[in-house]
Amino acid sequence: MEIKKGIAVSPGISIAKALIIDSEEYRIPRRSIKASERTTEIQRVRNAFKGAIGELTELEAAHSKAESSKIKDIFAVHLRFLHDRSLRKRITDLVHSESVTAEYAVSTTLREIASHFSKEKDAYISERAADIYDIERRLLIQLLDRKREDVGHLTEEVTIIARELSPIQTAGFNRKFVKGIASDAGGRTSHAAIVARSLGIPAVVALEDLTESVNGGDTVVIDGNRGIVIVNPDDQTIQQYQEYSKEFAELEHKLDAIREKPAVTRDGVKITLLGNIEFHDEAEAVLQKGGEGVGLYRTEYLYLNRQTEPTEEEHYQAYAETVSVLQDRPVVIRTLDLGADKYTQRKRFAPEPNPFLGLRSIRFCLQNLMMFKTQLRAILRASVLGDVKIMFPLITNLQEVMQAKMILRDVMDDLDEESIAFNRDIQIGIMIETPSSALTAFSLARDVDFFSIGTNDLTQYTLAVDRGNELVSTLYSSADPAVLRLIRTVIQDAHKAQIDISVCGEMASEPEYIMLLLGMGIRTLSLTAPMIPEIKQMIRSVTVEDCNNVARKVLGMNSERQISNYLRAAARKILPEAF
Amino acid sequence: MQAERDSLEKVVCETEVEIKNADGLHMRPAMQFVDIANQFDSDITVSNNETEVDGKSIMQMSMLAATCGTKLKIKAEGSDAAKVIGALRELVEEKLFGEPAP
Amino acid sequence: MKFADFVCFKATVPELQARDRDRAIAEIVSSLDKAGKLGKGKCKEITRAVIKREKEASTGMGKGVALPHVKHKLVKDVIAAIGLSSAGIDFSALDKQPVYSVILLISPADEPDKHLQAMENVFRHLQQEKFRKFLRQCRSPAQIEDLLREADENSSL
Repeated sequence: MEIKKGIAVSPGISIAKALIIDSEEYRIPRRSIKASERTTEIQRVRNAFKGAIGELTELEAAHSKAESSKIKDIFAVHLRFLHDRSLRKRITDLVHSESVTAEYAVSTTLREIASHFSKEKDAYISERAADIYDIERRLLIQLLDRKREDVGHLTEEVTIIARELSPIQTAGFNRKFVKGIASDAGGRTSHAAIVARSLGIPAVVALEDLTESVNGGDTVVIDGNRGIVIVNPDDQTIQQYQEYSKEFAELEHKLDAIREKPAVTRDGVKITLLGNIEFHDEAEAVLQKGGEGVGLYRTEYLYLNRQTEPTEEEHYQAYAETVSVLQDRPVVIRTLDLGADKYTQRKRFAPEPNPFLGLRSIRFCLQNLMMFKTQLRAILRASVLGDVKIMFPLITNLQEVMQAKMILRDVMDDLDEESIAFNRDIQIGIMIETPSSALTAFSLARDVDFFSIGTNDLTQYTLAVDRGNELVSTLYSSADPAVLRLIRTVIQDAHKAQIDISVCGEMASEPEYIMLLLGMGIRTLSLTAPMIPEIKQMIRSVTVEDCNNVARKVLGMNSERQISNYLRAAARKILPEAF
Repeated sequence: MQAERDSLEKVVCETEVEIKNADGLHMRPAMQFVDIANQFDSDITVSNNETEVDGKSIMQMSMLAATCGTKLKIKAEGSDAAKVIGALRELVEEKLFGEPAP
Repeated sequence: MKFADFVCFKATVPELQARDRDRAIAEIVSSLDKAGKLGKGKCKEITRAVIKREKEASTGMGKGVALPHVKHKLVKDVIAAIGLSSAGIDFSALDKQPVYSVILLISPADEPDKHLQAMENVFRHLQQEKFRKFLRQCRSPAQIEDLLREADENSSL
């Protein structure tokens, strides 16, 4: 039995057999094959090349109008490599001579070549290493595709173990069979963690070397409350955990009981609780947990896991279904917020050196108006079906608001031309998630109908920390005085301009921040559905007066540690069972 | 240019060329070289002082990393050996891969 | 779509006489008309349409630029013209500052994609401070044409 400690990112207990999956960062272990399997394996190599060439040729054709010759060159280079017979021969020879898997042969060969390149002093040549890694990835995707299907064709309950999980992979998990998740890498607010939470699957991350300690089929306990993973537990431990599991289910049940009760503080102030969703079918879960609407519909997932962009109909179907579940309750649809993440990086053949600060989100949309318009049309068409609002992400200045509104109006003109109905007075809001928009919120407030504070990104940008980087993820904290000061400014500016304001980042789902947020003036929170009952419990247990005191005290502190300790202590007094 | 006929009636042609463009044999020139080489039947080997590579393989050619001023020997073996040597020599020394000289 | 594909350089107004928004719009539309880009007798109607739309929502984008535009049935292709004003015109812009560069765009009503492509191009260049600065410094149609053609060649001017 081995006990490992990581970071708990999604609550719950699970006991199931391990299924190990390779992440897209491919560290292919050396696996041997039987001599009789060599021919099949060599054929797999050939097929992988064929598939990769086909994929690349398709992509090249789709980009034939690319103005940049640099992009055309990159395609040309990759295709020539894939057509290179001596490369293929080197790989198949390795399969044959050492009886290893196709994946191992591909990975080893290409990494050897890449390291040869990266040793060269000449920059032109050493840069080629990146191309080689890319080609390796492309071939491995072809080879591992069959393996990925294993996750899609589960027949029994499993615990997924991986080195790292991308949100794309996590989102594809079937809740019926995937009972628990554990990974070597990742942090509390990484996308994969967010997805695990919203799917309600217990998850523990940042275990560092879990994949080296587990074999497929081992029994694994995931304790998503305490951040513990136990491999091959003994009988006593299994029994213990089965009891914990029961207790946890009872607590959940208790929280469920307040579903019907309103989110009102002890001194009678109503707080609006909305849900954050990524898929339209999560709207039902929001209502089940007592949410009063959707405060953030993240539309990125419509674009992930596919080769082509979603059509207007596909957008519309998703939005229309969401609205029909929520009926006349508000739905805030956020336009595409992709970027600093695999989709746009794959689309761009000259990858950005710093995608986090690059052409992402609303900037990407304003440079790709055809794609943007498709989403806007669908949102507008859905706006007649209910209380639909539109929200633009990552706004940094007034011009972006202006441009986005201009395009929205142009799209409205088109719909008028085509006699298609839409809500002309649709409410338009923006995410405040950068220091620049937070500091100029007073002027932005004049031109929009509402703000929503994206505390995750606001924290990252303000503290200059990448929440997914386990080397620095402990520096990320929304209790940092700098972040809190910005949040307070935004709330004040919104109040002055008399526009609605809400918080939709992770902060809204953490009980220890609720008193602070309420005390700073927030009356609307949007959070992941599973946490709504607990947050409602918190709200029902406090008075706004107490919250104001808490906020006043906190805003006078200047150490993150002091603030987070204070908040945790204050929250524990109110709701001891949450800690 | 030297042409020899060996006993199996295969033509062998050799020449030496100098890389004359400023940026040397980086990816784009290597691609052009390989594209031309692959248009012909002959086997093509390219060597600098240390290694010998297959002139039709982009992987091997790009590993040559020949900078401006480097001299390379090109050997072609096959029925169209003379033609391919001529085309390659033109590409490297006359056209400079369509790139600027230093 | 590059500037050269839809901007009528002949219709550039390097120094707008008009001191107010509606008259400035009329001046630029009339210039396009004189350059033969609008078809017979449509000048007044198109001017009215642009002004109407501008009244509904200002296209003053801030930083001294305005982008009045309209989609109209009577126009066959996307067409635009530039008007500069050294004195500045009040376009009720977001940042409350006067507008020194006006890019007026007219698109055919049934080709929304072409309109978007033109807008995308305009947005991309207007984002850049250098471009805005150079545009404002132009004094003659020739200078404006050079600037736009250069911007087309080098999309990070």
